[in-house]
Amino acid sequence: MTYWRLFLFTLLATISIARAQEAAQPSVNGGESLNKPAMAKHAPPACSDPKPDCAMTIYPAFDKKGLLWVAYSVGKTLYVASSQDQAKTFSAPTTIITLSDGIIDAHGDARPKIIPLNDNSLLVSYTTRPDKMMIGTIFTAKSSDNGKKFSTPQPMLTSGGQRFDSYVVTPKGRIFAGWLDKTHAAQAKAEGKEFAGSGVAFAWSDDGGMTFKGKNILMDHACECCRMSAALGRDDLPVFAWRHIFEGEIRDHYAAKLSANSVKLIGGRVSNDDWAINSCPHQGPALAVDTKGAWHIAWFTKGKNRQGLFYAFSRDEGKTFSTPEKIGDDAHAPAFATLLATKKGLYRAWKEFDGAQTVIPIQQSNDGGKSWSAPEILASTTEASDHPILVASRGDVFLSWGTHKEGYRLIPLRLAKK
Amino acid sequence: MPRTCSFLYTLSLTLLSLILLSGTGLSLEFKPYGRGDFDQIAQLQENRPRIIHYWSVICPACIAELGQWTKFINEHRDIDIIFINTDDDEDRERAAARLEKNGLSRATHYGFSDSFVEKLYYEVDKSWRGELPFTVLISTNGPRVNVTGALDDPHFVAWLNQLNGVKK
Repeated sequence: MTYWRLFLFTLLATISIARAQEAAQPSVNGGESLNKPAMAKHAPPACSDPKPDCAMTIYPAFDKKGLLWVAYSVGKTLYVASSQDQAKTFSAPTTIITLSDGIIDAHGDARPKIIPLNDNSLLVSYTTRPDKMMIGTIFTAKSSDNGKKFSTPQPMLTSGGQRFDSYVVTPKGRIFAGWLDKTHAAQAKAEGKEFAGSGVAFAWSDDGGMTFKGKNILMDHACECCRMSAALGRDDLPVFAWRHIFEGEIRDHYAAKLSANSVKLIGGRVSNDDWAINSCPHQGPALAVDTKGAWHIAWFTKGKNRQGLFYAFSRDEGKTFSTPEKIGDDAHAPAFATLLATKKGLYRAWKEFDGAQTVIPIQQSNDGGKSWSAPEILASTTEASDHPILVASRGDVFLSWGTHKEGYRLIPLRLAKK
Repeated sequence: MPRTCSFLYTLSLTLLSLILLSGTGLSLEFKPYGRGDFDQIAQLQENRPRIIHYWSVICPACIAELGQWTKFINEHRDIDIIFINTDDDEDRERAAARLEKNGLSRATHYGFSDSFVEKLYYEVDKSWRGELPFTVLISTNGPRVNVTGALDDPHFVAWLNQLNGVKK
């Protein structure tokens, strides 16, 4: 009899809990499609070999000997490889780490990076997002044997949450790191206060990236969804550009340089686009500083005052910016601009998509951004692709672009004649 | 122990296990969403208004309003609501955890299964580059409305007001 009672009790409890759960759930509006078979055929998943062709994001950098280095992840493993023949062939990849918890932040604006240093050593950075948290941790690892082995990755910080790091190296070898930092946001949340976005943080290293000093948040309220960009100023101080959250949830752009005493960022608002939006654009700005010290920035907005991809320059270190100039063909959703300044000129490239084909148009300016050559299509694909990155080596300019169909490509730019 | 008692004992333990397991949330299925799927998903069923909501776990604004979507669904049972998660497969588990935490397990969910995201965006809106949250509002009362922004976005509110106004 006891067992019958136990059985009946359990049965009733099961029914009650099932009903309670059903009541707690919203109705299955639109649920008719749950029973449908999978619909259209989809593209096959990316390959899983540990090579650049199989990576969702690839970050390129040349060392001073002209060797191309790339950092990329496939699955939960981070790799570095080098190429002596402009990406036609690559060395066997070196594994930096395979994660056991969480994922490597390598999607869209977020990606692992490699920084060749003046003493021929290499610094690698990547961000992890743990399984149960949305915030990240930035790690760095170092190689002093030409990329054969890397040191055990060290976290930049162990609390607060960081993403979207970027690095610049001075001729004397100081490394400046910048990133977006959720520490103040987490503190505000713990106190039950509202806080918009992330902080703009920085640190420096004088020992080739073994340790970073002066970790500090210098400004608050950067948009936490978009990459921050960095470039080295003519006085060897870093310049940063990011999407900022101005009062009223306006997500326009800001660019600023680290002060000589490293205690503040000095610059200004790039433009008044007036994009008042509570959303994640997932598209941060591009930044370059030319040989005369002018700042160049390209960005995406859907503001009240302008919509699309834009470019402007500042010749007074962010006090004023030129009138925003539209980039690309609006009919083809221009996006994800990349900028590069070399001694030979200034370059800008971006992505456009016409419904079937993605192309990378590129333009060159020889007058500091006042005028540009006609756009020239440097590459195209009809499948998925990474963001384009312009990269230079010994005065030559290349487009670095990973596409699912063609694999990873490093395309030399034939300098356009104005 | 008599055989009947033994059987009932085992059955009870099984049911108790099921209760405990069910406490972790109902299983959540993401239908694959790839190129060409949008037009089919955007089809109205029996002329019921339809909302297609795109979101991601790396979009804090999206995460913050998931709870409001639960409330919205309960208050608008006359609207078909479809959720489309734009994350990669490796983020899908945490997407499911977010939905379950906010009581959205039983809603209709799709997940991006096609890495050619430019094409997926283009099929919805030629000017969409992937900014989120992004919501498509469809009804027989007017043209389709695409909204970048949260549930309290003025365009969303205006569409809802128009919907309610026509019904009244």
